[in-house]
Amino acid sequence: MFTRRTARRPLLALVLCLLVVVATGCANRSRPGSGDGRSIEFWSFSGINQAAAVADYERAHPEIDVQLTEVGSSVETAQSLVTALAAGKVPDLVLIQGDDLPRFVEASDNFHDLREFGADEIRSDYLDWVIAQSTGADGRVIGVPTDVGGLAVAYRTDLFAAAGLPTDRAEVGALWPTWDDFIEVGRRYTAATGAAFIDNAATSVFYQAVNQGAVKYYDEDGEPVYRESAPVREAFDLALAAVDAGITAGQSSFAESWGAGMQHGDYAAVAAPAWMLNSIRTTAPDTAGSWDLAPIPGGAGNWGGSYLAIPRNAENPEAAWEYIRETQSPAGQLDHFADSGSLPTTPSVYEDEALTSFTDPFFSDAPVGRIYTESLLGLSPFPVGRDSSTIGQEFLNAITDVEQGGGDPERAWDRALDNIRIAIGR
Amino acid sequence: MTTLLGPTPAPASTSPLPAPTRIRERLGERVAPYLYIAPFFVIFAIFGLFPLLFTFYIALFDWNPIGDQVFVGADNFTRLLDDPRFWNAARNTLSIWLLSTVPQLALALLLAHVLHHARLRWAGFFRMTMLVPYITSVAATTIVFAQMFDRDYGLLNWLLGLVGLGPVDFVQSGWGSHLMIAVMVTWRWFGYTTLLYLASLQAIPRETYEAAAVDGAGGWQRFRHITVPSLRPIIVFTVVTSTIGGLQIFTEPLLVSRAAPLTCGPTRECQTLTLFLYEQGFGMFQFGYAAAIGVALFVMVVAIALINYLAATRVRPEGK
Repeated sequence: MFTRRTARRPLLALVLCLLVVVATGCANRSRPGSGDGRSIEFWSFSGINQAAAVADYERAHPEIDVQLTEVGSSVETAQSLVTALAAGKVPDLVLIQGDDLPRFVEASDNFHDLREFGADEIRSDYLDWVIAQSTGADGRVIGVPTDVGGLAVAYRTDLFAAAGLPTDRAEVGALWPTWDDFIEVGRRYTAATGAAFIDNAATSVFYQAVNQGAVKYYDEDGEPVYRESAPVREAFDLALAAVDAGITAGQSSFAESWGAGMQHGDYAAVAAPAWMLNSIRTTAPDTAGSWDLAPIPGGAGNWGGSYLAIPRNAENPEAAWEYIRETQSPAGQLDHFADSGSLPTTPSVYEDEALTSFTDPFFSDAPVGRIYTESLLGLSPFPVGRDSSTIGQEFLNAITDVEQGGGDPERAWDRALDNIRIAIGR
Repeated sequence: MTTLLGPTPAPASTSPLPAPTRIRERLGERVAPYLYIAPFFVIFAIFGLFPLLFTFYIALFDWNPIGDQVFVGADNFTRLLDDPRFWNAARNTLSIWLLSTVPQLALALLLAHVLHHARLRWAGFFRMTMLVPYITSVAATTIVFAQMFDRDYGLLNWLLGLVGLGPVDFVQSGWGSHLMIAVMVTWRWFGYTTLLYLASLQAIPRETYEAAAVDGAGGWQRFRHITVPSLRPIIVFTVVTSTIGGLQIFTEPLLVSRAAPLTCGPTRECQTLTLFLYEQGFGMFQFGYAAAIGVALFVMVVAIALINYLAATRVRPEGK
């Protein structure tokens, strides 16, 4: 009898253990500021060479340990962040892409107001319209901008030469002051070679042109105006015109076949916001040297750009702030520009010799820094709203449907508006 | 035993053991079985029942996971019934489920029959290789299949091109994407189902077949009148499980369209209900609406499983 009772004890212990695990598991939220101050858990996107910046920082500060996790695409990183914030176990530092930012600014309680650490003192270092996007209505600053996406067109000089087009970047830029001219050049290229000119109309035309207008999907008061915004309609019609001209390869950006097409030279040009250069370099490494960069048609614009934020429950907020302060200072962003090509948000370095004289051999020694900073000059910034990324995705889907799915171009605009209304409810 | 938790009752027997020990003993005998099965139920309650009930609760709210949570009653459900995206996802789910389940079960039945009766060398090897697709990562399978089905650089379209047929855009066309996903699902599950059938086949006495052969029954007749009826319980089981699995297909549609992953194509060509749920929850942060989709899916799974079960058990072979 005695032995039987002891035999039961492990079982009871197991059940108790389970209960304890469950109880503590639920309570296992990270406590703000409870870390050792020397390690930083950092969530970033893949494909933007964040590891280089982290390695530089660790070399300069051997006592700090930055644990970098490349969560996935920018969208996947934002999704993981939502889950983490809801569950309470958060990283110390997280990179958020501009289009995803408004939803987090709206829920700014989940983040440290960076003014606690003195963000006001460095605010003037940054382009004011860029840092304005990470500032809430109540003045809370939840993010420091890491880069902006100035616009350009990347094109293959060898394919242009074969089609009888000029290859010099100034001459190429002169071919297309407007988007209509750009589509006309595409017609000439396709007529001469029988091949597609650009990868797709949705990103290489619509997403560029829509980012050049003074109004995008929202007005200054945060009201959606995508229906009546003239620049949006113009950009949409330009994309349909490009499809109609038959100059697109119908390859959606970042799909596997998009990469294969780029490697095979199945299209000669890609719209290239600053952060796209790294993607071209890693997607088609064998094409090194046969690319060049020309100014974007249609004038100044910005697509993309990201922000660093510190979640409210971060264990090491001070160490995370030190990381932001140092790596995102004008000098820090200039260093990172050389590593990864991401364009600084700090205008004071735009005239810096290190930026203006920077050339990239992959793109035929194009003066990358100068081309992109010039594309930002005279930019009239547009407000970004809560559902900007959803609205953009629906417009993109409507164009892709016409381009690849045989959808009716006459009905594309109305269908896009219907889908947006269903998706965001207004 | 009604006073177990009350004061110690007076000893009612002449047992040599002291009363408190005996009661503890008897208590143990009664409680121990429950404790033995408790771990499952505790874990099920935490990871199964609680999330299920909590989903019903969240579905009544406009629930932003990192913001406000406002009670809205049945609004999410009325909105859902009016939402063309929901009906589209429901249609896609049913279509993919039919395209994958029916051929898969038929194929598995035939394969099991062949594996059981044919004189094969290395029969064990063939039986085990059937399980390889099942233990391969879904993501890996999907990526490889998506490349094979690619419009411009895929193996399948290259083969079609050899016989003079134009390239088919599987991802961007409704039926093409459904077929593609159904092939992936069938590939992953047919081996598992085959082994289940094979195990049941091996339980059928060989004499039954011999007697049938003596009576002059051919191969097809033996298959129809012996194999299928004997397998009925396991067929019902696989129909129910593959229905539940088929209505929850998620990974394949998420990974086939890189242009619009959350919608499985720009016009939601192959967005299933679970993918629609994921899009609303984690893409749009509308957890309340996503929970309502989850509840709708739950109702559909229960209803279809029930219909399946009734249909499969009611239909009896002639003469029984």
